[in-house]
Amino acid sequence: MTKVALTLTINGQRHEVLTEPHRTLLDVLRADLGLTGTKENCLEAECGVCTVLLDGRAVNACILLAAQCQGRQVLTIEGLGRDGQLHPLQQAFIDHGAVQCGYCIPAMILSAKAYLDEHPAPTEAHVREALAGNLCRCTGYQKIADAVLAAARELAHRR
Amino acid sequence: MSFEYHEPTSLAEAVDLGARFGADGRFLAGGTDLIIQIRRGKLRLRHVVCLHRVPGLDGIAANGSVTLGALVTHRALERHSAFQGGLRALVEGAEVVGGHQVRNVGTVGGNIVNASPAADVTPVLLALDTAVTYAGPGGERTLPLDGFLVGPGQTALRPGELLTGLRFSALPGRSATAFLKAGRRKAMEISVVCMAARLTLDAAGERCAEARIALGAVAPTTRRARAAERALEGRAPTPDVLRDAGRLAAVESQPISDVRASARYRTLLVETLVTRALTRCLERIREAAS
Repeated sequence: MTKVALTLTINGQRHEVLTEPHRTLLDVLRADLGLTGTKENCLEAECGVCTVLLDGRAVNACILLAAQCQGRQVLTIEGLGRDGQLHPLQQAFIDHGAVQCGYCIPAMILSAKAYLDEHPAPTEAHVREALAGNLCRCTGYQKIADAVLAAARELAHRR
Repeated sequence: MSFEYHEPTSLAEAVDLGARFGADGRFLAGGTDLIIQIRRGKLRLRHVVCLHRVPGLDGIAANGSVTLGALVTHRALERHSAFQGGLRALVEGAEVVGGHQVRNVGTVGGNIVNASPAADVTPVLLALDTAVTYAGPGGERTLPLDGFLVGPGQTALRPGELLTGLRFSALPGRSATAFLKAGRRKAMEISVVCMAARLTLDAAGERCAEARIALGAVAPTTRRARAAERALEGRAPTPDVLRDAGRLAAVESQPISDVRASARYRTLLVETLVTRALTRCLERIREAAS
């Protein structure tokens, strides 16, 4: 099997990766780079726990070949905070008690970030639609929606 | 699921690779269906030919007639300014596919080649009389989408051939489209029934000049309800006439019972959704005229 040599920019840092072509972005993030904040579960783009941002857009890392990401920018939950400070979304999830078991949360936050980057003043219905591709099996959706709306207000306040 | 990975940088190179690998290879567009099929062991491939470096496959040209490159994403369909008016059914079909993560990556070309009978954008494209263009060693061919869809997961593509784009004509005046979907939840749902309608009124705005009704998830392929279309043409679109069209479409559908719904329930849904979508088309034509 011919390996593919990739240059991926992950959380602002360049990584040279040599990998088999069938391996997904999720495989490379978790197994090769140790970035285990991105979770693995259904592997069929149903649950959304593997969501990362690829050039700013939410994608399911479980069904994206690493090779498809050559030369592109990836943001994972590890890269969201800056200078030791949590991102307003992360802080809002804590403040609203939106985290139960926590497994869906990194992806929830990244989906919310991609959405708020394009829609800074959403309604609750918009937030719920934005997070449709992310399942929380603790079913804590209300507090998650509340947290995203609070983060949207905080981000607007800072602008 | 090991395979060799190829990234052609021109259409000619992609066609060459397709011809060389035949049934041992597949083209990769967004991969939202293909990667899952490979992982499930449903597809055993020796070669995957990724198309994202082939220039010109991701464009939308909407000046009168509309051309969609095979790699146009559902996200791009949802947001294009040319599809917010009479062609709104394209947006309505695209925005219910998966979650944002899938719509950001999944392509309209990949969705057609995957040939799910429940695909949501396909009925809209059928209602627009879309033609499919594909390329192979013998050159480029074009077929009506209607004839291109052969069965569940099956199209007229031969191994190594590559869908390059879709094209449909500008909507005539006094026309509108609508898409409706029935599922058990509002998002992340494979359709129990999905359908699209297109209605064009005559110059006086009094009779149906042309109608298209396309049904998803009620037959081995997405297909038109031709008897229902014929029943509309030349008649005034009264509530009774629209209801008759719904009844005829239900008779024409051939649903199965499965985990999502019984055949009987699907038939009832077809009748209701077709009538409702035609009514919506009529409202939209009148709104645009006022």
